[in-house]
Amino acid sequence: MTPTTSAVPILELRGITKSYGSVKACAGVDLKVDAGEIHGLLGENGAGKSSLMKVLLGLVRRDAGTVLVRGEEVALDSPQEAAELGIGMVHQHFSLINGLTVWENVALGDNGKVNKQAIRTDIAEVSARYGLPIDPDARVGTLSAGERQRVEVVKCLRRNPQILILDEPTSVLTQAESEELFAVLGRVVQEEGRAVILISHKLAEIAQATDRVTVLRRGRIAFRAVTAETTPQLLARQMVGREVSLGEEAAALGLVPTGERRKGGGGGPEGQPPVLRLAGLTVEQGGVRLLADVDLTVGPGEIVALYGVEGNGQATLGDVLAGLIPPTAGTVEVTGNRVDVTRPGALSKAGLGIVPEDRHHSGVVLDMSVAENLTMKSLDKVSGRFLLRRRAMLAEARRLAGEFNIVTPSLDAPVRSLSGGNQQRVVLARELSGHTLVLVAAQPTHGLDVGAIEDMYARLRAAAAEGVGVLLISTEFEEVMALATRIAVISSGRITGALPVSEATPERLGMLVGGEAA
Amino acid sequence: MSAASLSDPDDLGRRLLARLRPGRRDWMTAGLTLALIGVAGGVSALLLTLTGASPSASLAAIWTGSLANTTGWTTTLLNTAPLLLVAVGACVCASAGTFNIGQEGQVLIGGLAGAWVGLRLAMPGPMLVAVVLVAAAVGGAAWAALSALMLRFRGVNVPVSTLLMTFLAIQLVTFAVSTPWVLQESVQGAGDIADAQSNALPAHAQLAGFGHYPSLQLNTGLFLALVATVAVALLLSRSRWGFKVRMVGLNPRTAQHAGVRVAALGGLTLALSGAFAGLAGGLLLTSPVSTNRLQAGLSDNVGWDGLLVALVARNRPMAAIPVSFVFAVLRAGGDFLSATGVPSYLVDIVKALLVLAFVAPPVLVDLFHGRRGATPRAAPAVSVVPAKTEAAA
Amino acid sequence: MSVLDSTSTILASGVRLTVPLAFAACGEYLAERAGAMNISVEAMMLSAAFTSVATASATGSATVGLMAGVLTGLVVGFVHGNLSHRAQINTFVVGLVLNALVLGLTSYLITTEQFASHQVGVLSIPLLEDIPLIGKPLFSERWPAYLLILLVPLTWWLVERSRWGLELRAVGENPQAADVTGIKVNARRRQALLWCGALAGLGGAYLAVGEVGSFNQNMTAGRGYLVIAAVIFGAWRLGRTMLGCLVFGLSDAMRLALPALGVTLNAQLLVAAPYLLALLAMLLFTTQHREPAALGRPFERGST
Repeated sequence: MTPTTSAVPILELRGITKSYGSVKACAGVDLKVDAGEIHGLLGENGAGKSSLMKVLLGLVRRDAGTVLVRGEEVALDSPQEAAELGIGMVHQHFSLINGLTVWENVALGDNGKVNKQAIRTDIAEVSARYGLPIDPDARVGTLSAGERQRVEVVKCLRRNPQILILDEPTSVLTQAESEELFAVLGRVVQEEGRAVILISHKLAEIAQATDRVTVLRRGRIAFRAVTAETTPQLLARQMVGREVSLGEEAAALGLVPTGERRKGGGGGPEGQPPVLRLAGLTVEQGGVRLLADVDLTVGPGEIVALYGVEGNGQATLGDVLAGLIPPTAGTVEVTGNRVDVTRPGALSKAGLGIVPEDRHHSGVVLDMSVAENLTMKSLDKVSGRFLLRRRAMLAEARRLAGEFNIVTPSLDAPVRSLSGGNQQRVVLARELSGHTLVLVAAQPTHGLDVGAIEDMYARLRAAAAEGVGVLLISTEFEEVMALATRIAVISSGRITGALPVSEATPERLGMLVGGEAA
Repeated sequence: MSAASLSDPDDLGRRLLARLRPGRRDWMTAGLTLALIGVAGGVSALLLTLTGASPSASLAAIWTGSLANTTGWTTTLLNTAPLLLVAVGACVCASAGTFNIGQEGQVLIGGLAGAWVGLRLAMPGPMLVAVVLVAAAVGGAAWAALSALMLRFRGVNVPVSTLLMTFLAIQLVTFAVSTPWVLQESVQGAGDIADAQSNALPAHAQLAGFGHYPSLQLNTGLFLALVATVAVALLLSRSRWGFKVRMVGLNPRTAQHAGVRVAALGGLTLALSGAFAGLAGGLLLTSPVSTNRLQAGLSDNVGWDGLLVALVARNRPMAAIPVSFVFAVLRAGGDFLSATGVPSYLVDIVKALLVLAFVAPPVLVDLFHGRRGATPRAAPAVSVVPAKTEAAA
Repeated sequence: MSVLDSTSTILASGVRLTVPLAFAACGEYLAERAGAMNISVEAMMLSAAFTSVATASATGSATVGLMAGVLTGLVVGFVHGNLSHRAQINTFVVGLVLNALVLGLTSYLITTEQFASHQVGVLSIPLLEDIPLIGKPLFSERWPAYLLILLVPLTWWLVERSRWGLELRAVGENPQAADVTGIKVNARRRQALLWCGALAGLGGAYLAVGEVGSFNQNMTAGRGYLVIAAVIFGAWRLGRTMLGCLVFGLSDAMRLALPALGVTLNAQLLVAAPYLLALLAMLLFTTQHREPAALGRPFERGST
């Protein structure tokens, strides 16, 4: 396991600085990676990990600093140059093209003639060597999230990179798939002497998989160490920059809470009728079943988690509950009354609020003001029959902004100008305003920093304490363990099982996530 | 997923409308605009010189034809009204994220519907004018609504269908005015040949001027267009309906989630935009700017020019007022120019260059700032920026 | 016999009307596969028609005129590419402006300048031209028409088989992903517009120094839009796009020929036929439409 400490590191960054306008994404970052090691790059969302890697891939030009590959200074002005130097990356999103086939995607980024046969042979070879089977002729758009990830890895490995960068690779993988991936990476590093940089914001993953770790905080190196010589406690403190309690805040850092398990938050499902009941919910699109027969109930004051790996139907469920797509079959009931989800606004009238998975996609209107975003679902309150009442709108917005601690230069500022955490608070405030009985929170902490994550947790707990039924759709194991009273697991669009949190173990959930009954 | 819909924030129309939202307004943009206007003038002057004409004489001719005297002003203002109407309609549906580019056809259909009613209905005086205009608006709206239906039920992109429908409209009108039993003019003498045009509307079906000024004619059409513009501007910014329209335009998914009937609203704005274009067609038919006859050439690019006005005004109705005025000046000046021996096509060249001079600078300035590091609008998704003040604390 | 003759005449005229459309449609097809929706094909064709006649008149050679036309289309493609895929000005606005500019400019110049008439020669293929019915239409054409035999397969090969084409398609489907993979998105789109410009230029020049031999005001008369309709009709497949051009060309030929044959069919209907067919194709075959996913979407790094 010990890294081969050769005299010259395979990759060395010195004083890398990159600014976007007034925002310093990276400020004088130094990093050394040796051949034969898995190097963890840990940091909160926005700590500068992605910017650093974009520099390394030649996707953005650094403002200052030098990059040395095997001791030689390189310019790194283009992705092609990075590829020639043997730097390859497995991207989290945005790198495969749905309209093209697997082999065409793999061929992208090469040079010279397109030789279909040679590429297919390569794919077969790489697939066989690392145990990553894929069909080269499949159209990428038809593959599952896990399969796409596999294509990404094969595409990257085929280039024979000496330095392999993985950006949050496990978010779309099941426990078993993750283990497979790390087994592959272990071989890549140990047997073939390459270097791997593993980017993550999850402490557990870093602790488990890496040889050495570098912690980034606000664009600067906060800490570096041999992983075996650190503790999660220490890494957490370095990542956030203050003392943290692994009991209370662990989940926000990607650790399973160590404190005692809570049994049922507010009221349990027993006795009271459920505030939300999904029955036989099915969505088909283009012959593909995105949701199959989903049954789920949420009681008042209960937090129920829907846990699963990304891309297993959660987004579809979120869209149905946001009123964006009609289900092919099945019903949605709020407090026992069936809701016609195809009628615009019917769900929110019935008392269902939703924090959508992608707030830019369907949560806020970025170019409208904070006040407009806060009141857009309660227009009756802030307008007459024809005209808007600006005063009433501002008053209502001021009330909500105060209650939810929304930090904004002004209520007239466009939501675009707010930080991610505050944008999320705008959504939450709007969805909880009025007579909300059920709150659906879909991946509510994606892309937020630790402080904002903790705030979100507190608010979800508070909502439940006030009797709101909360459905938490999450891919983060630690998050569901920390918040939920009951955990249902979704896999390939169907619910594979449900457990009270006291009976949930990583193993049992892992089996359910893999599609097996537990 | 495959079929486009009005709630699809990534349909062709929205993609094509990208980068047309109001940009920054600063000195750099203003300076660049002025410089580009200078370049446009320079290029035109060069062209004139090369072809043996005099730039100064041509400029003088444009001036004389459009703004130098009351006759010029009359022509210019007559030209302003239809352009403004078309542009305002374009603003409405662009605000809802629907990209209508078929105004030219909608203008023609408006003219067709107006002419049909005006020539077939026997009605007294001013009432007939009103009916003709209403018919024109309804005609344009119906034509545009066809595109809305094609989108709703078959997923046909709005820009594509409205464009194709324009060419159909031209042929439909050509057919109408060259077919005796539809709308072709009747001939008196035995030896006369009927042209491809309708009879002239009866005098009482023509729009009156309002007010009497020495030699300056102000047509009711201008008044109508200005009222419509102000009304639309207020509606969009102040009304509950306008709030929903803006929501749909900026983020249809959020709008739908918030309870807005996105597809219906999008279709409605498209029809409304068609109604404005149709009304412009009615105006062309009934105001002294034309011969008061329906012809295939009735629209005379007013639809396309009106669309350009809206694009230059970046879809803000109030901004469309001065822009349509400038376009009208060029139209009026162009007519006069051809009388002096310089082809009136010159003003088309000037017009195209001017559009570029207005549209390019904000983008270029954005790009300039972007190259220097600041991402223009897409703020980083991370919360590194400390907010300045606590609101409502 | 006379039926055969007149059919052959209509076919011949249809093929002649198809050729300029087919050249330009090849170019537009490739550009749209790269996600570049350019309305400016009209400008490319019209400007090329004009310069080909002007150059032919100046040099006395129709062939040189043809080359000048290609070059002009290339220049328009270059200008459009740089304005919308470098300076990031809205591509639709740029298209409209270029169309208006070229129409104004050529109309202005044709009234101020005089040009001598030149036309490229007819190349008849021995034996083949004697085939009844289709011999004359297909094998007795102005020689540049035969370039189609080369250019259509070449365009297909470029898009479907070459590395450049693979990258073009990637750019047309998902520019963000293409960028991450190291493809210069806007550069590819500019290059696609150059190909489009050259081919549309060839089409416009063919119309002027090939078929007509002179330039008239607004001589393309919306053929650029017809080309866009053909690509839509073809559902972004080259073969069907070419078929669309042929259908459009034939319906145009019928319009011209029918009155002489004494058949009264509505002329306006035939003029409108191409647009009607394109619309019908979209209405009937919606599910088969494989519009490039990022068609018309501008790309700027950092924005999604």
